[in-house]
Amino acid sequence: MISVKNLYHSYNKDGKYQVKDVSFEVANGEVFGFLGPSGAGKSTALNILTGLLPLQQGEVVVGGYDLKKVSNERFNKIGMSFEQSNVYSKLTAKENLDFYRKLFDVPTLDSHALLKLVGLEGKEHVKAGEFSKGMKHRLTFARSMINNPEMWFLDEPTTGLDPSIAADIKDIIKEKNKEGVTVFLTTHNMFIADELCDRVAFIVDGEIKLIDSPKNLKLQYGDKLVEVEYMEKGEVIKTTLSTVLPEDKRELQKIIEHHDIQTMHTKEATLEEIFIKVTGRGLV
Amino acid sequence: MKLFSSFIKELKLASRGFYFYVELFMAVIILAVFLLLVPDNFNNQRTEYIYFDMPRQTSELFLQEILQEDTDGKAAPVKVEVDKQEKDAMLYTTSDQKIYVLTSREDVIYMADKEKKIAAVVKLDSDNAINYEYYLQGYESDKFKNLLKILHVESNETIEAAMNNQDVKPLADNTLVLSDKENMMPSVLVFNGALMGLFIIAAYIFLDRKEGVIMAYAVTPSPVWQYLMSKVGVILVTTILSSFLVIIPVMGTQPDYLLLLLLLVTTAFFSSSLGLLIASFYKNVTQAFGAIYGFMLLMILPNIAYFIPSWNPDYLKLIPTYPMLEGFKSVLLGNNDWLYVLTISGGFLLVGAILFSISNRRYKKTLLG
Repeated sequence: MISVKNLYHSYNKDGKYQVKDVSFEVANGEVFGFLGPSGAGKSTALNILTGLLPLQQGEVVVGGYDLKKVSNERFNKIGMSFEQSNVYSKLTAKENLDFYRKLFDVPTLDSHALLKLVGLEGKEHVKAGEFSKGMKHRLTFARSMINNPEMWFLDEPTTGLDPSIAADIKDIIKEKNKEGVTVFLTTHNMFIADELCDRVAFIVDGEIKLIDSPKNLKLQYGDKLVEVEYMEKGEVIKTTLSTVLPEDKRELQKIIEHHDIQTMHTKEATLEEIFIKVTGRGLV
Repeated sequence: MKLFSSFIKELKLASRGFYFYVELFMAVIILAVFLLLVPDNFNNQRTEYIYFDMPRQTSELFLQEILQEDTDGKAAPVKVEVDKQEKDAMLYTTSDQKIYVLTSREDVIYMADKEKKIAAVVKLDSDNAINYEYYLQGYESDKFKNLLKILHVESNETIEAAMNNQDVKPLADNTLVLSDKENMMPSVLVFNGALMGLFIIAAYIFLDRKEGVIMAYAVTPSPVWQYLMSKVGVILVTTILSSFLVIIPVMGTQPDYLLLLLLLVTTAFFSSSLGLLIASFYKNVTQAFGAIYGFMLLMILPNIAYFIPSWNPDYLKLIPTYPMLEGFKSVLLGNNDWLYVLTISGGFLLVGAILFSISNRRYKKTLLG
């Protein structure tokens, strides 16, 4: 599990905090997402949790390891996929993975199997420098699984990927989570957060504004709406009505009785709309 | 095992990169220059141009004297071509001089002007006394000019007798001396090993920073010092390879190769640790260039003292390349001075270890930098 209490971080140690009084807990087997716009402090928090940034203030426990007591052992339990691909461009895909396999003290996954999992089968002996951006990202993603991590940190796991690759990555994350892997991801993509996360934290200007499950957030903040398209005097009319307000309910009934309905959909508020409603800020 | 894996990975990366071959290519070029172009000892023969403005019988006396010192006892008629003008001359070659006896005063002045060499006209004045006219270049020292002024106060015989009466004895016998070519090898070793190592390891670090792989390494259980040491290992290999590539063909069996290996390893460890420390303060090679260039210039200073012993201020001895040069010279002489080389090697190992330890601390803290 991950436990964070009153976490602060300032890059210049000048009292201007990029992460301010952040506290949360992630249970074992949970998928937890940090949702926020660029520069909100998502990656800073992630880098502290993975030890890439020093812990300045606050208490952080990751997988039973207190980050105040530095121990490299903890990395045997951790996997980290970076937003920017960072593989050795002069090594082949297999050489990249084979090298990282040797750095862990725990059993590791076979390089071929990992490359197959991320759709890079047949590219084992191609230098990473010759890969496209998406292929490099998949190799970086594959590397993060090499030690079968219990805690998996994913920084913007699908950013910049084409939809089919992003879908594959999401499937792999879901599959690993089913196997019991705890996932901590950062994203500014509401669909990813909605689809993958058991809970999300909205983070803006280094502060957590809200933590809850996407379902609860929609129930709490989303309006229950129905979108109807119907024919009137030969024209298609489109309107959105509340399923809660009495006058809208009456209007909907009238449309159904007197008009030819073309389409009718219930409409939930998206996480992005809720994010804007709660924080007053967009996700870009 | 992790260190070995990192080292093998670094060797692969280096062998597929640019800098690895720069050092080896430099070594091959240096070797070719030393084997094909640099003589064992540089020519110390001075060239002089003289015209005897006097009757032939008198000038013959001078020429007879010169001929006694000529290596083959014969004067050779030659044509000296300068700026497409040919001048007739007789060439006398002694152990330390090439004397061209020209046929006119104008030719002497022409040669002094075009060849930028000292020339002289020897003539008889109205009292049949010998006079000397020297044509100098203007850069000669006052000491030299004063010497010319008093040189002819006494007769040659008196001066020669005075010189022969001086008793000159060396303080030590059997002193081993490197030839002029061999004497340049310590500089080659310092430059191609130590200084290139300093620059190249910094370049390796900046390449890793650019690719972001240093962050990926940081989230593995392997300690940062192993990452750094694997890079130092590559520098040691290239230093040893490039150094031996030059030294073995040029020096043959003369050096103490075991001591040379020890000194190469310790000095390369020192300089690569220094390179690591410098690189830890900068984000890319452009930012670090000024500092690296400054350090390299500082390190080159003792080379000047090495070749110009008259300029050897005490502060130069504090610059690490000073003992490096002396150590390599001792090893190349093959004089079995184990204690001296071991002391220098121990010093570089100790200072290198301190620099490496500081670098390790800095890289732990600045992985994202």
